[in-house]
Amino acid sequence: MGWTRRLLLLGLVLWTGGASAQDRLSVNGDVDLRWVQASGVTSYLNGGLGILRFDPDHEGFQLGRAFLSPTWRATDIVSVHAVIDAYGDGDRNSVDLSEFYLDVRPFPTAPVRWRARVGAFFMPVSLENRGIGWSNVYSITPSAVNTWIGEEYRTIGAELETRWLGASSGYFGEVALVAAVYGWNDPAGALLATRGFGLTDRPSELFGGLGRPPIDFYHEIDRKPGFYGGLSWKHHDWLEVRALRYDNRGDPGVETNAGGYAWRTRFSSLGASIEPREHWTIVAQYLDGDTAVGADSLGAQQFYMRFHSGFALASFEWSREQFAVRYDDFDTHQVSGFYGPPSDQTGHGWMFSWSHRYNQHWQSVAEWLRVASVFPPRIELGESPAQVESQFQLAVRYRFKLAW
Amino acid sequence: MTVVDHDGRSVAEVVVAATPAGAIPGSPPGLKPAVMDQRNREFVPRVLVVGVGTSVEFPNNDTVSHQVYSFSAAKRFQLPLYKGQPHPPVTFDKPGLVVLGCNIHDAMVGYVYVTDAPYFGITETAGGLTLKDLPAGDYRIVVWGPYIADAPASLVRTVHVDGSEPVIARFQLSLGLRARPEPRPRRRDWEY
Repeated sequence: MGWTRRLLLLGLVLWTGGASAQDRLSVNGDVDLRWVQASGVTSYLNGGLGILRFDPDHEGFQLGRAFLSPTWRATDIVSVHAVIDAYGDGDRNSVDLSEFYLDVRPFPTAPVRWRARVGAFFMPVSLENRGIGWSNVYSITPSAVNTWIGEEYRTIGAELETRWLGASSGYFGEVALVAAVYGWNDPAGALLATRGFGLTDRPSELFGGLGRPPIDFYHEIDRKPGFYGGLSWKHHDWLEVRALRYDNRGDPGVETNAGGYAWRTRFSSLGASIEPREHWTIVAQYLDGDTAVGADSLGAQQFYMRFHSGFALASFEWSREQFAVRYDDFDTHQVSGFYGPPSDQTGHGWMFSWSHRYNQHWQSVAEWLRVASVFPPRIELGESPAQVESQFQLAVRYRFKLAW
Repeated sequence: MTVVDHDGRSVAEVVVAATPAGAIPGSPPGLKPAVMDQRNREFVPRVLVVGVGTSVEFPNNDTVSHQVYSFSAAKRFQLPLYKGQPHPPVTFDKPGLVVLGCNIHDAMVGYVYVTDAPYFGITETAGGLTLKDLPAGDYRIVVWGPYIADAPASLVRTVHVDGSEPVIARFQLSLGLRARPEPRPRRRDWEY
């Protein structure tokens, strides 16, 4: 037996033998490789105003995403989570963080459970992106609503949740209230005004940006904290409802020397996930809000936009197969502050996907997406405002978990 | 001994506890240690009945760690993060219902029914429950189940055992069962 092999064997023994009875440190990992075929205009991510992730100049083999997500259970009630990603798409940092937070969950001493998170994390609003680091559990590409939340929002602050556990009262369900205070989310709204809604599985990173030139999302400009409050309700094992009101309380009159603006962005979201019978899941979500930038004193010169979007998804899961279909509808309407073609977007899209799980590590997903949208600012790129884009992706994913 | 719902169907996972009404000759069965396992992010069995003073093991045979707790008055305890069986058994020293949870997986719910009755058991799906070797006498029989919606007062009755013939006791529930959270196939994308 050669030295290399002996060392490898020793390493393996230490590694597996070192798996303690607690899993104080665990790491989930995922590598997602794609084969892509796309039609339509240049994607916003590549400098155009297309609303899908890939475009005809970015086809063939692509890195969907690679990530590592360590969880360190520092004590029995305190843990630290991070999500470290690579997308290989030329973002500012080739490896970056999308989440990094401290999670505190004291043992319940009454039917009410408290939980606090401090750091940078996704807000608890999606019933679709329930996987680690905003990954979608039904297909590849999230809805327009959840694409946008993954792109422009990260709670950088503190969140407190109180959850009533019904089991001890004979009710098979839970009701939770959540509230958060955060900063560094003043640019939220800029991407929606520039591109409108999109459908991509490319959430932003904490230190990166999206687009060419990139929009940066996580800056504190007006020194005013934002707020969100939400309610969630789980009834038995088959109904879950989530409502959330978000207001970054941005002061649209504040601008930094570097040219960063504070956007005042507010929205309400209501979503439900229903499992009417075994194998079937229906998910629907609707979001409605507005955003403003530029001082109020500008009057009609102040940029002000309203927006709404909704989707409905049906999933059928049987054995190792999962099929999903989704319809998306989205709309933005600029009310004032015109300096060019209006940021008025209307669009809708269909998604069909088929996932097959080979074993606990390997999975393949085939997804076909087609969106039709009208967006006047495309005129400035010499394109027709009305575009139909489609994208076929075949993803092969390898997932693993290590624990010590 | 059977427990049937308002449509006449036999109900499983129901605790049946029998207490003699007076002094009865013979010694009741002693306490046996019990096990509340954790598999696939569920407590197995979901309902456990034990006598007062019983020690219960809580092995975790899952691929993920659990933190088992109870805040029920009959027994408050916390088992810090673990896999396998690192913790000593928990002794249930007061009668009452103990609802179990996991601090990491909120959907996990289990029940330990602690009784001071000397004879007890749990009904099975079809066969109900047979309590054997009860000395002759009058018994107060109590039934309890997490899915039973009937008032507890209506779930008590006295049965006479004469020691020669088997006694068949039948509890008919008047209210429908609470919908039970049937285990559904879950997207096991990630193991937390």
